[in-house]
Amino acid sequence: MKKTLIALASLLVMGQAIAQDVVTLGASVQETGALANTGRYYRDGYNFAVAKINAKGGVKVAGKSYQLALKILDNQSDSNLSVRQYVQLLNQDKVNFLLGPFASNFALADSSVAEKFQVPMIQGGGASDQIFNRGYKYIFGTLPVASRYFESTVAMMKTLNPQPKTVAILYADDAFDVSVAEGTRQWVKQAGMKVIQDERYSTNASDFSTLISKLRSTNPDAVLVAGHETEVLNFIRQAKSLNFNPKMYSFTVGVPTEDFRHALGKDANYAFGMTSWVPSPQNKDEYFGDAKVFASAYKAKFGYDPDYHAASAVADVEAFAKAIELANSIDPKKVRDAITQLNFKSLYGNVAFNKEGQISLPQTVIQVQHDAVVDIYGQSLINKPIYPMPSWDKR
Amino acid sequence: MDLLFQVIVNGLLLGGLYALMALGLALVWGVLNIVNLAHGALIMLGGYAAYYLFTLLGIDPFLALPLVMMMLFVLGYILQRYVLSLIARSPMFNTLLITFGLDVIFMVLAQLLFTADFRTINPSYAGTHVTWFNLTFPTVQLFSFAVAMCLTVGLWLMMLHTRIGRAIRATAQNLSAARLYGVNPKQIYALTFGIGAALAGAAGDLYGVVSQITPYIGATLTAKCFAIAIIGGLENPLGVIVGGVLLALIESLTALYVGPTFVDVASFGVLVLVLIIRPQGLLGKTA
Amino acid sequence: MKRLLPLLLIIILGVLTALPWIAGPTLVQFAINALMLATLAQGWNIIGGFAGYASFGNSIFFGLGSYGVAIAMVQWNLPFGVGLVIGVVFSVLFALAMGVPVLRLRGHYFAIATLALSQVMSAIFSNLDIAGRNIGLVLPLLRSDTLFYELSLGLLVIATLTVFWLSRSRFGFGLIAIRENEDAAQSMGVNTTRYKVLAFTLAGIFSSLAGGIHAYWITFIDPNSAFDLSLNVKMIIMAVFGGPGSVLGPVIGAALLSAISELLSSTLSSVASLFFGVVIVIAVILMPKGLTDCWLRFPVTGWRYFIHNIRQHRL
Repeated sequence: MKKTLIALASLLVMGQAIAQDVVTLGASVQETGALANTGRYYRDGYNFAVAKINAKGGVKVAGKSYQLALKILDNQSDSNLSVRQYVQLLNQDKVNFLLGPFASNFALADSSVAEKFQVPMIQGGGASDQIFNRGYKYIFGTLPVASRYFESTVAMMKTLNPQPKTVAILYADDAFDVSVAEGTRQWVKQAGMKVIQDERYSTNASDFSTLISKLRSTNPDAVLVAGHETEVLNFIRQAKSLNFNPKMYSFTVGVPTEDFRHALGKDANYAFGMTSWVPSPQNKDEYFGDAKVFASAYKAKFGYDPDYHAASAVADVEAFAKAIELANSIDPKKVRDAITQLNFKSLYGNVAFNKEGQISLPQTVIQVQHDAVVDIYGQSLINKPIYPMPSWDKR
Repeated sequence: MDLLFQVIVNGLLLGGLYALMALGLALVWGVLNIVNLAHGALIMLGGYAAYYLFTLLGIDPFLALPLVMMMLFVLGYILQRYVLSLIARSPMFNTLLITFGLDVIFMVLAQLLFTADFRTINPSYAGTHVTWFNLTFPTVQLFSFAVAMCLTVGLWLMMLHTRIGRAIRATAQNLSAARLYGVNPKQIYALTFGIGAALAGAAGDLYGVVSQITPYIGATLTAKCFAIAIIGGLENPLGVIVGGVLLALIESLTALYVGPTFVDVASFGVLVLVLIIRPQGLLGKTA
Repeated sequence: MKRLLPLLLIIILGVLTALPWIAGPTLVQFAINALMLATLAQGWNIIGGFAGYASFGNSIFFGLGSYGVAIAMVQWNLPFGVGLVIGVVFSVLFALAMGVPVLRLRGHYFAIATLALSQVMSAIFSNLDIAGRNIGLVLPLLRSDTLFYELSLGLLVIATLTVFWLSRSRFGFGLIAIRENEDAAQSMGVNTTRYKVLAFTLAGIFSSLAGGIHAYWITFIDPNSAFDLSLNVKMIIMAVFGGPGSVLGPVIGAALLSAISELLSSTLSSVASLFFGVVIVIAVILMPKGLTDCWLRFPVTGWRYFIHNIRQHRL
């Protein structure tokens, strides 16, 4: 009895001691609801990064070591709730800094809380241009600029033989995908190819049969789709059942994920996609070693493969750790200024924010070949793409 | 011209599945006067049942239909008998609220049990197609169209020619008169709701083969089912086929001629118009 | 007790007015949200509770109010107040134009027609350039939750006073008559169409103002959040839980349910919504007439109240 009391008391004392030297990061993430499928990358990425940084001794400010703590709330995929939760995080839970939610429309709404209370938010879930062109000073993003998503894909298309000449652009009508489409039109035009079909569809559409029939009648060489994972899955399955055979198709999301290959099986093959992150040992990292080590540790810990969402989440946490040490303070304004000065190598790539608060990362083109994701094109050709893809009845 | 015909074919085939989705909703609405906001969630559960039968036990989704329908029948029977019947004589809001509550419960449970991952049922023949007259007919959609037709016509025949069917119709028309004929309304209500749920289960099974299942598909599907049931009318299962096919055609043609982002304007606009002009449905008898 | 009630209400109101100076920002923003929901529930009470029409279209007015403010401020650089007026004007026009044909429908048909209308409006706005299509609009940032709080509180007080007036006016009795038996009301000389459309419009004005304030407060709207169907379901649940057709029921229902769901969502997360569903199901079974009825009768009948309810409403 006495022993347990002493143990309890010492625990309490320790708890207090720890409580004093803690920097808390707060985030409201989609743990449930329609976006939970991607939200989990952020929850797990944040947790993993915080644990790792703490294991390496935390962050040092003015010679004192601080542990990182993390407070995550579930916004149930409701953007109004997430705004309120960020206010709660700042005022009630007294978190020091903010990490972001997934998806552009959430980041768009939530960043106004960061701006209102002048606490920096680094988010790796929203890439839409609107987030960054409002002149806000406290919002930073680690996803590449939306309008440049298809830049490397179009560059790769120029190396193909025979080179695709006609392109169809399909995009969902939300902030992020509209930005992607605007950029893509420019890249395609600059490459001397022709956009012969340009179609906007409703977010969460499930029936693509009309669009695909239309595509079949104009028969473009390449189809570039900017949408959400569920739409991409429907598109591919319906393309197969309607026997639509473009020479190639590429998708902004879905292709790098394990879920995508599970859901489609063999039909996932030959789909092009993109990722701002490749788990290669060349991406060195101070806390995790390198991206490859991180990927296998992540898989072992959470039971599924990380993709660029998870890596981006880790980069957000690391950016805070670096910025706090650089500022040598946990004052939000000083840390905010330090974030703008950051320039460091991480498992996600080089993190340095531009004037608007975004980082510049090239997209690596990938393709599913023989049921595995293969890197195809970064600055130059990495592996040989399979082009044109075989028609559905010849697989 | 080929494009227009192909789009019409797509619409027709999708319409069959739409009809099957709404069939159970219309039946329950017509007989029990319950607008079941959890109908889409029942479709979702049917989809998961078929998914697990396929991935864990290797049962083909079309062969699994009777099994899935049986499971959902039991669920529906219990729901009506032990939960919904408790508020049978409550004001109308209350039936809407309680089914909404059930919808939330099913959705959250599905998420806890099955995770938020996208599930597709992918048998080897999924995605194959046949070509007739230069038009593409996806095999699975053809099958599911046929199944939807069979179940709809089967329900229609059952309502007309069997003892249970007559008892259900009698209960729908006049509860107290039905009692006099020795019909046990509790039993009949539970049976009807069970059949409605079983049909939702069948729709979910097929939906998993043509599209994909997540815990969150329920609400959208419920809204769609309203449109189909209203356009087709509640009196006759065959009307629901017309409703399903019409809605699918409206959606496909709007996507083709106006633009894919106008699909919801058209389909729900038509629903409002039908309600204002002919609330008994396009095929219903004039009041 | 009867005499003490007004005094009690004035004291509560006084405390509520002073809240931003007593409580922290988290409580204030929770309160802004709860006040908004209470106003919406009160608005729904007019058409749903009094007239007995289960409207799923009140979120349309919320959306029109939101877009009124957003378009005025973002696209036309007009002040917030003008935006509120624009939203109200559009809501009134909508209520008058759609109210006449849609309010002819009864029961489930009315519910579904309004539900479909809200889907149509959401789909139309996601195609409107001036409304920022499906991307939405970002409003200017105002760092004053106190202002939003007092505005929301004022709006709720006005809405509740209106309902109080309604509960003892000829107009209100007409609506109740329509709820109890519309054909009888008509034969007694109540101009049912005019009464219903007026009730719909009145409900619309309050929802629209709530939407306008909410849009400016949250600084971002898109069709999904502006015409959110689950918001409409929430207002119905709050009004019905509190007691439809009563003056304070919807306010109490909104306050209680927001508190419960806020508590749960910050502590339990995914189980929170499960619990919410279970609460709805049990409340509908045990207290089909709402909290106010339970409050009045439970002290008299005790636990038999619940058994009595089930006996009375089961098949």
